[in-house]
Amino acid sequence: MKPIISLNNVNKEFKLVKRHEGLKGSIHDLFTREYNIIQAVNNISIQVMPGEIVGYLGPNGAGKSTTIKMMTGVLEPTSGEVLVDNIIPYKNRTLHAQKIGVVFGQRTQLWWSLPLIESFKILKDIYQISNATYQDMMKFYESIVDIEPLYHKPVRQMSLGQRTLSDILAAFLHNPKVVFLDEPTIGLDVSMKSKIHDLINAVNREKETTVILTTHDISDVDALCKRIVIIDKGKMIYDEGIDSLKKHFGAYRTIKVKFEGDNNLRLELNRQVVKKLQEFISDKVTIEEDWISILTNEKDKSAMDILNYLQTIHSINDMQILDISTESVIKKIYEEDID
Amino acid sequence: MKKFKFYMRIYIKILVQDIKSKMSYREDFFISVIGIIFTNLAGFISFGIIFENFPSLGGWNYYEMLFFYGFSLVAITPMQCLFDNNWNLRGYIYTGDFIKYCFRPLNLFFYYISEIFDIKGLGQLVFGVIMLQYSWIHLELGFDFITVIELLICLPTASLFMIAIMNLAAATNFFILNSGYVMVTVFKFTDYVRYPNNIYNNVIKNFFRYIVPIAFVSYFPSRVFLTPDDIPPIVYVSPILGMLFFYISYRAWMFGASRYAGTGS
Amino acid sequence: MNLRKYLVLTRAGIVEKLYYKASLYINLLGNVIFLIIAYYLWKAIYLSSGTTVIKGLSFEDTMIYVVLAVAMYNFMEVFLVWEIGRNIQSGKIILDIIKPIKFPLYMFFQTSGEVVSNFVAAFIPTVIIVSVITHGRIEFGLHILFFLISMVLGVLINYNINFFIGTVCLYTESIWGINIMKNVIVSLLSGVTIPLTFFPDSLYKIISLLPFQAICNIPLNILIGETEGIYAILVKIAFQFLWFLITMFFSSWFWNKSIKVITVNGG
Repeated sequence: MKPIISLNNVNKEFKLVKRHEGLKGSIHDLFTREYNIIQAVNNISIQVMPGEIVGYLGPNGAGKSTTIKMMTGVLEPTSGEVLVDNIIPYKNRTLHAQKIGVVFGQRTQLWWSLPLIESFKILKDIYQISNATYQDMMKFYESIVDIEPLYHKPVRQMSLGQRTLSDILAAFLHNPKVVFLDEPTIGLDVSMKSKIHDLINAVNREKETTVILTTHDISDVDALCKRIVIIDKGKMIYDEGIDSLKKHFGAYRTIKVKFEGDNNLRLELNRQVVKKLQEFISDKVTIEEDWISILTNEKDKSAMDILNYLQTIHSINDMQILDISTESVIKKIYEEDID
Repeated sequence: MKKFKFYMRIYIKILVQDIKSKMSYREDFFISVIGIIFTNLAGFISFGIIFENFPSLGGWNYYEMLFFYGFSLVAITPMQCLFDNNWNLRGYIYTGDFIKYCFRPLNLFFYYISEIFDIKGLGQLVFGVIMLQYSWIHLELGFDFITVIELLICLPTASLFMIAIMNLAAATNFFILNSGYVMVTVFKFTDYVRYPNNIYNNVIKNFFRYIVPIAFVSYFPSRVFLTPDDIPPIVYVSPILGMLFFYISYRAWMFGASRYAGTGS
Repeated sequence: MNLRKYLVLTRAGIVEKLYYKASLYINLLGNVIFLIIAYYLWKAIYLSSGTTVIKGLSFEDTMIYVVLAVAMYNFMEVFLVWEIGRNIQSGKIILDIIKPIKFPLYMFFQTSGEVVSNFVAAFIPTVIIVSVITHGRIEFGLHILFFLISMVLGVLINYNINFFIGTVCLYTESIWGINIMKNVIVSLLSGVTIPLTFFPDSLYKIISLLPFQAICNIPLNILIGETEGIYAILVKIAFQFLWFLITMFFSSWFWNKSIKVITVNGG
């Protein structure tokens, strides 16, 4: 199978005017002009197969939006090749636009003071959606989300959640091959988030739509993505399946233990344990109030071994074993990249 | 042709929706109409006051001046009604919302411009037509089949010039961030459309002919009707010039839009 | 009143103005072009009339008046109605009224930076150019001081009217319509469009009682020496001061009444 999206050694540079601070700086800027060259995207290569949902992650200002803009045909790369469904997006913007759907941040693309159904009707004409396809899609939508109450509500009167949902529905309406979602769940409550997750999963399954998703919300990643790509400062630092994400960083677990006894005794015990454990466990051992917290890689030392060992020191009052979250793994990737 | 029909259908559809949604802000609509009436009344009053003190201007009498004025109002109307969204460009670019127009399988300029239809601009049309008719009768210009043809050529040509001028002014928004001043400044020139071009000295005269060509919006086309025996030669090629100028303004706008998208957000 | 916290706003306004330098240049260039056009337009008007003095104004008098009136109104106009109107529609006004500064004062200092930079960058050069071209028709004497006082009063009256109109936007959804009506009325009745002297006498008598001519017409007449003698000048300034008090009273009364609409309806 051929990849539907293919980025090869893509670079994007921006030229920014340098500004100086304060009143003096402003007057200075009035007469001179200096530039900074920003490398927003640095030699990125990604291949996405049809039907994939890819989470595109990275800290703020990492270059995610810039990449998305190149894939949607709004931006022309400085160098490198971007191909989406065999088309160079920026060269054939209108043709390309027919095949994609976009939800960009919290900027609604719907008609602000029109009821949702009117917006859909305009989109039907703009994308030349046949009556049959349109009816099909609407039925499909109605089967997944409770959309009917929204039909006759003007967009400006909707809550943020309803508006985002409507925007996502509008983006999928013409049955595009690829949909780009830029932070689709930002600012939404838990139940609306899960509705949106269900919707995206359902459309992806039924219509085999490829979805590229940027987000800072790990619940999006957990619910939707089987593969994630992480970039930072314009460079790609990770591209693999979400399962191998955890393997990649070892089978980490956190064991938390609280010893029997009063506070003073515990304090003393905790100090001793930290000292001893640090000798044969390289990972983090920390004291958190009454608790002692040990991060271990199961490959080196199993959690059970550590528990057994601790029991020999003193009787245990309470304990917890936590699997490492996607969030902490990603945090770890970001941090390692900084080092 | 098929493409043209498709675009026409979309255009009308979006336009009708815009009018519908305008109607949902009824108060705003009525206040804006009153505002337009006020503007035109004030324009007319200052025109009247000047002519009370100065009975003729550059060899043109009161009714001829009224003709230039009325013609300019009619010619400006299409720009006012159909291209009004240009005024929002500065805001969309400043906040980054402009990007939402870039994802549709439609011509960007078309899609952007079609979004707004400014009904209140029609108020101006009413003023213009009344003035034109009033002066037409007092000047005893006569009216036959040829006049209709002439009007059908001259008015759209004049409108094209006006639209192109404002398109170019709007396109500067893409290059100069947060600058409404070019548009405001250029729009202020439209106040001078109503004055005959021959009253200025050579520099200003040529400025209004070749740099900001407002002479083509009222002065030149009006000459076809006011001085049929003495029509400046350039008037005959003005329809082609108008189309060319509009095309240039369109290219500039599109170039600006593609360049703007390159600045990130 | 701690003036410092207000002047910070003025300074920020100036910095912001300088930030968009292209706008600054274009605005300057635009003003110059308009002055040139106005010059030739009035020249043509006078040439066509056949006489040199109309209603007591020579071509030069008219020119000086028109140029300075436009320059003066331009430096005062900071789109306050738009600013307030948009803040109301977007709901941002809530953030502004909970600031520890009274909103009318806050907006005044917020926009004052722009007024100051416009004054320095556009108005002063215009006055100097006019003075040089007309070989000292603008004299630099004691009346400059009166002019400055009168001008500040003009700015304040203009601000009060704008603030009042801006508050009206709380009740209407229309900013554009309200603003254009205000612009038309103020520029026509303040003498910016055409010198007030050209108006028919009966109309002129009514207009001279209204606050609008106190914005531009009075300070200008003091500057170009049309209003002569300390006594006459003081009467005019007293007239302005009276209108300043009235407009301030009305705009703040109306604002205080309207602010309840926000707090009750949640904006």
